[in-house]
Amino acid sequence: MTEKRETSKGFTKTESGKRLTRMLTDDYMNLHRGAGEGAFVVWVAIIVPVEIFRGFDNVVFAVPESHAALSAAKGVGMLQCEKAESSGYSMDICSYARIDIGTAMSGGKDSPTFGLPRPHLLVSNNNNCSLLVKWFDVYHREWSVPHFIIDVPFCYERQKDRDRAYIVAQYRDLIRTIEAMTGQKWDAGRTREAVHNSSEAARQYKRFIDCAVSRPSGITAFDSFVQMAPLLTSRGSPELASHFRMLADETEVRMKSGLFPVPGERYRLFWDNIAPWHQLRKMSTRLADLDANIIAASYTSCVGSVEGSYEFLQDYDDGDPLEALARMQNFSVCPYGMELRFEAMSWAARHYGIDGFVFASNRSCKVYSIMQMDLQKRVAGTLGIPSVMIDVDHADVRKYSEENAFVRMEALLESIDAVRSRKGA
Amino acid sequence: MFVSKLSDSIRQLKQKGFRVVGCFPLYPTVELLHSLGVIPIVLWDLKDQVRSLEESDCHIQGFACSVARRLAGFVLSDEGALLDGILMYNACDTLRNMPEIIQLGLEEKGRDLPLFRIHVPMAPRDQTGSDDYFAAGIRELVRGIESAFDVRFSPERFLESVKLYNAMRSLAVELEALAAAGRVSYGLFSRVIRDGYFLPVEEQILALEEAVRQASSVKARDDDGRGIIVTGILPPPEAVCAALEHAGLRVVGNDVASQARSYGRPAAETGDPVACYSDFYRNHMPCTTLLYTSDGRVRAIHDLIRERNARGLVFIGEKFCDCEYLEMPFIGKTLSALDVPDLQLEIAADDADNVESLRTRIEAFAELL
Ligand code: SF4
Ligand code: SF4
Repeated sequence: MTEKRETSKGFTKTESGKRLTRMLTDDYMNLHRGAGEGAFVVWVAIIVPVEIFRGFDNVVFAVPESHAALSAAKGVGMLQCEKAESSGYSMDICSYARIDIGTAMSGGKDSPTFGLPRPHLLVSNNNNCSLLVKWFDVYHREWSVPHFIIDVPFCYERQKDRDRAYIVAQYRDLIRTIEAMTGQKWDAGRTREAVHNSSEAARQYKRFIDCAVSRPSGITAFDSFVQMAPLLTSRGSPELASHFRMLADETEVRMKSGLFPVPGERYRLFWDNIAPWHQLRKMSTRLADLDANIIAASYTSCVGSVEGSYEFLQDYDDGDPLEALARMQNFSVCPYGMELRFEAMSWAARHYGIDGFVFASNRSCKVYSIMQMDLQKRVAGTLGIPSVMIDVDHADVRKYSEENAFVRMEALLESIDAVRSRKGA
Repeated sequence: MFVSKLSDSIRQLKQKGFRVVGCFPLYPTVELLHSLGVIPIVLWDLKDQVRSLEESDCHIQGFACSVARRLAGFVLSDEGALLDGILMYNACDTLRNMPEIIQLGLEEKGRDLPLFRIHVPMAPRDQTGSDDYFAAGIRELVRGIESAFDVRFSPERFLESVKLYNAMRSLAVELEALAAAGRVSYGLFSRVIRDGYFLPVEEQILALEEAVRQASSVKARDDDGRGIIVTGILPPPEAVCAALEHAGLRVVGNDVASQARSYGRPAAETGDPVACYSDFYRNHMPCTTLLYTSDGRVRAIHDLIRERNARGLVFIGEKFCDCEYLEMPFIGKTLSALDVPDLQLEIAADDADNVESLRTRIEAFAELL
C-alpha cells in the first residue's frame, strides 16, 4: 500500500478520505445540477428513508443536517449560527438548525456547497426529534413549501408490528404525495434495489468500524464520523456500498502493515453523542498524544442496526422494501429510550473492550443528552467502567471549552489507571 | 421539602381514599382517568410547588426546561411518593426522555409506580391513516389503567367525566373574559387556573365558580387599558403579571398552553374514548407541540389580536423549549407586517422571581403601545 499518511497520530486522511471528498463533491454537484435541470427537490431529515425517492425518475434529495455538519467541520458553523440568531432564533436551539436557517435565509452565502437548492417538498420525521419538524416548519411557512411529517412512535421497547405497519402506511402516503406533486410513478423495484445497496453499504461500514476491535484499534471514531457523510447524501446508491467496501479493505490492509492511528494506545474510549464537528482533528490529535483513542461512538455504531443494538441487523432479504425500511426507522440513537441505549452500550463495551466512556453533554441536542446522567451512573454501577461527562456542542464552537474538556478527559484516563492498578493489586 | 398546594391537595385526596395519578403535560387524557375513579393531577406550572431542583439535578442537565426539571423533582420527592401512577404521552422531545429517568430515580429510592403511556399521532389526519393506530393505543391505555387499579371502564361514566371537564373549561373561558375586562387581575386568574390542575375537577369547578362570582361583582374598568395577548407554554410568574399590570397593560386574551390552549375547546361529548380523544387531539387549539396543528397557531394569534382589539403580543419564553423558540421568529415577523409590536421575555428555572431585569423592558414596551 503506497498511501500517504497526512498525520502521524490520531485522525488520518487516507485514500478513502480523498475518495470521500470526491463523492461528497459529486453528491452536491449532482443535487444542484438536478435541481437546475428541473428535478423535484426534497429536503429530508437524516433518518427519512431516501431509498423511496430513488424509486422515482427525477427526484433529488438534500439533507440539511448533513450540510450543517459539513459547515461546522469546515469552520463556518458559528457564522451561520449568528445569522440565524440575528433573525431571532435563540442560541439555545440546536446548532444544526441554526446553521441551516442561517444558510437558507442568506441564500446559501458562505456555505461550503453553495447552500442547497430550494425544496419542492420537506419531509421530516419526529422520532429522531420533533425539533427538526419545527425547524422544517420554518421553511414551510417562510417559503410556502408543503411539509410531510412521518410520525414514528418513540421506542421504549423494541419496535412492535403495529408500529411498523403504521410507518409503512405513512410511507405509502408519502409516495402518493410525491406521485401527485410530480406526475411521476414510483417504481418499487428501484426502491428495492436501493434498499439492497443501503444494506450492503451498512454491512461494509460495519466492517470498517469493526476495525476498532483490534488492539491497537485500526481507526479512531473521528474517522468514522467523517465517513458518515455519504451515508446520508449517497444512501441507496451502488457507489456508496463500493466506497465502504474499499474503505474497509484499505483499513484492514493498513492494519496488516502495522499502521494504527494511536500505535501506543493505552486507553480505549467510547464517545456518546454527535460528533464534535469543529474539533475532529484537534481532539483526536491531543488524545493521541496521551495514548488515548476514542475508538467507537454510539453515533456511528448504530448504523445498520436497530433500536437497542449495534450489531448488524441482517442483509436485506428482498422482501417488501417499505417493510424493510420501516424496520430500520429507529436505527439512530435518539429514537429509542434509555434501557435500549444502555443495552447497546453494554454490548459495545464488551465488543470493543472499552476502558472508559466519554459522555458529551450537548445542550444543542436535548434528545441525545437528557438521560446521559443516568446512563453514566449505569455504566459505572453495572459495567464498572469509568466515565466522564464533558460539555460539547456538536456544531457551535462557542459552546465548547477545550481546556475544560481535556481536564476532565485527563481525569478519566487517571481513573482508568486507578481501576487497572486496583485490578492488578 | 417546601409544603405546597400540590402536595397538600394530593395528601388530602389520599386521606379521602382516592388514587391519584400524576400526568405529564400538556394535554393528557384526564377525563379517562377521572371516569375510572382515579384523580388526575397535571404536573406543570410547578414553580411555586417545587422550589428546589436538587432531586432533578441528580438526573437531568440544567439545559432541560423548567417544566421537565420541576416535574421530575416533584415525582422523585417525598411528596411525589404519594402518587399512585404516572401518565404521559409524546408531548415533546424533552418529556419523551423522562419516563425512564423517573423510573430509574424511583428505583434508586426503592419505589415503583405504574406508568401509562399513549402515542398521540403527530401527522395530519388527511395525510396518514393514523386513526386505527391511535384507537388501538387508547384501548390499550384503558386496559392498562383497568388492570393497574382493578377498575372497569364505563361509557356512561366517561361521558359524565367529559361533561364535567367541559363545564370546567367553559368556566375558565368565562373567567378569562372577566380578566380581559379588568374585573380580575391576570395574575389571580392564572393562579386559579394553575391551582385547578392540582384539584379534582369537581373542586376545580367550585373554585372557578367562586372566582367568577367574585369577579362579576367587581365593576368593569372603564379605561380600555393597553390590551395585550400573552403567549407561551406557561403564564408569566406572578411578579411578571404584576409588572405587566403596573405598566398599564391588560391581558385581554391568551395563547398559553396551560391556559386557553387547554380549556379553549370542549371535548366531544361521547361515551367512546376513542372518538372523544381522536377529536380532542385532531381539533385541538393550535399548539406548537401538536405538530400538525401549529400552522393554525399563526392564524389563531392573529384572530385573537383582532377579536380582542389587542395592541401587542407578549411571548413568555420557557427557556430551552425548542418548540416555542422555533416558532416565535415567524410569528413575530407576521405581526410586524400587521404593525403589531411584540415583546419576547425569557423565563428560566432559576429566575422566576427575578423580574427586575424584565421590568424595564415591559415598561418600554408599554410606552411603545
Ligand atoms: S436536536 Fe439533535 S436530533 Fe434533533 S436535529 Fe438537532 S442534533 Fe439532530
Ligand atoms: S416547556 Fe417545552 S420543552 Fe418543556 S415540557 Fe413543555 S413543551 Fe416540552
